[in-house]
Amino acid sequence: MTAEPRSDVRCGGASVSELATGSNPYLPAPARILRITELVPDTRLFELRFEDSSLATGFGYRPGQFVELSVLGVGEAPFSLPSSPTRRGSFELGIRRAGVLTGFLFDHVGEGDSVGIRGPLGNGFPVERFGGADLLLVAGGLGMVPLRGLLRYLVDTRDDFGRVVLAYGSRDPRRVLFRDELELLARRGDAEILLAVDDTCGVAWNGRRGVVTELLDEVKLDPARTFAVACGPPVFYKFVLDKLVASGFGKDRIFLSLERRMECGIGKCGHCAVGYTFTCLHGPVFSYWDAINLPELIYE
Amino acid sequence: MQTLRLEASRLSELIRRLMGWGPVWAPVEKAPGVFSLEILEDVEKARPDALRTVVPFKKLLLPPSFTMVRGDFGNADLSEVFHARGPQVLFGAHACDVHALKILDLLYLTDYVDPYYEANRETLLVVGFGCWPDDKCFCDSLGTSTVDDGFDLALTPLEGRFLVTVATSKGDDVVRTCRDLFDPASSDDIRDYLARLRERRDAFQLQLDVSDLPYVLELKKEDPVWDELARKCLCCGSCSMVCPTCSCFNVADRIESDGTASRVRSWDSCLYRDYAVVAGGHNFRADRGDRVRTRYYHKQDAFVREFGMPSCVGCGRCIENCPTGIHVVEVFQHVRGDL
Repeated sequence: MTAEPRSDVRCGGASVSELATGSNPYLPAPARILRITELVPDTRLFELRFEDSSLATGFGYRPGQFVELSVLGVGEAPFSLPSSPTRRGSFELGIRRAGVLTGFLFDHVGEGDSVGIRGPLGNGFPVERFGGADLLLVAGGLGMVPLRGLLRYLVDTRDDFGRVVLAYGSRDPRRVLFRDELELLARRGDAEILLAVDDTCGVAWNGRRGVVTELLDEVKLDPARTFAVACGPPVFYKFVLDKLVASGFGKDRIFLSLERRMECGIGKCGHCAVGYTFTCLHGPVFSYWDAINLPELIYE
Repeated sequence: MQTLRLEASRLSELIRRLMGWGPVWAPVEKAPGVFSLEILEDVEKARPDALRTVVPFKKLLLPPSFTMVRGDFGNADLSEVFHARGPQVLFGAHACDVHALKILDLLYLTDYVDPYYEANRETLLVVGFGCWPDDKCFCDSLGTSTVDDGFDLALTPLEGRFLVTVATSKGDDVVRTCRDLFDPASSDDIRDYLARLRERRDAFQLQLDVSDLPYVLELKKEDPVWDELARKCLCCGSCSMVCPTCSCFNVADRIESDGTASRVRSWDSCLYRDYAVVAGGHNFRADRGDRVRTRYYHKQDAFVREFGMPSCVGCGRCIENCPTGIHVVEVFQHVRGDL
């Protein structure tokens, strides 16, 4: 067997040469924070708008892509987009307090302040391939953030898709992201929403108590005409992917979005390299088949 | 391509004229047998025959550490900082160096163009120099022992003279401004060049078996050899720093004493412990064996799958500079079970 150059890893298929935010891909464009909403105690939704008005209205991206947000002197980090490109003018970032930069954002940055943004980066979900199919979105914890962008996109272009089902597992009811919005989508019949928590923590809860894989038992979908999209922490993938394959999903019909240390975001710095791919450039969305052939991509 | 002859006695004059083009970087002997790529002040100090400088030419294109953007602390309006050095001459690049340069071009000038690299690459004049292998050279196994493009001008030493290869229009510019130094190449020059080529081919002492290597590595990815290697490797990153194709970098923000801030980019190594740490503290490659394996797989597996060739050019710098004596060729022999 001889090694062949990569063929179809870049699911998005979009040609890359220049970022929307400028010809120097390392130079961020200033964006103003319009609104900060607390989603759950350690996670906030930031709505932003580029200061440059043509960039603000022209900024297009694919669900599943990400941006690099920076505060000069503090640092830069990648964040997925929970908003949908169908709604132009502003975009959103779902941010959990986890490190130096996010700590600074929570403690010292407010509405009206500006931050630096580079993007959009990465390939995003292959939404063109999803056309006409049923969609099963499986989220674990903070994995709901990028999937919320995809969910909004699917709902905004609802006629292009069959059934849209979300199975979402959280640790407890107080940690369920976008809960009101998800319940609204379910009431309107735009999407089927299945929620599970590991522990109700004494809070009123009318969803399932258990893990997200148990929700998948409740869903009756035809794997041959369905695409599954999973996003969650490493341990989540371990169980969800096995479950999906056991349910009859082909590995090329399952997509996942991965987290790595994406510093430059454009496939140069090397930090997010896994096997022969850069998570930032060839991902963060991979089919399970591509992912399983890369050592250490999912579990480690 | 054009072929000329340069008498050996005129080499110093050629270097002197090249200094008019820009700073001339050439190997200089800093201690017995230790060579450094330095800006020449005294043309007689140039040692283009020296096989390997400790740090390769990559420092001419991207300095070990430099500021990419600058501004006021916390202010989103940033300005780019360019470090364009203007015309520079790399004098004495060997075939493996030129291949490494072509690999860096692939990394930095495809997909998103790296403007910091591009600024210095466009103005670099590359003058190659024919080398003779020692016991650490294994370029011949990797197809990088000769080169046809990627340089502007190349000198191959023959008895008392050099065969000069003019590979680009920029190289032709040099020749045209130094007309008096060059002569047309004779059939004797070409005969001697070919004789040298044959003798050089037989002079290689070290071979790396690259047949089916990406798949061999695929089969051996869980092999204990990587843990054995991890016990010997200090993860000091020396091999990355001296490697002509290692190009990983880290980006960190710095606050200056005057209250301004800058975003600084520095050479990095995948062997460093915190290389794959993400916010929240999870380390995707906490195990030393995983990091050691990653470096070898990147060179001989990942790069082959991405670009159809390995990103090792067989220069021998990592062999010469490893503080614990890890020998890249022996590592792969061990992986294959040949040792």
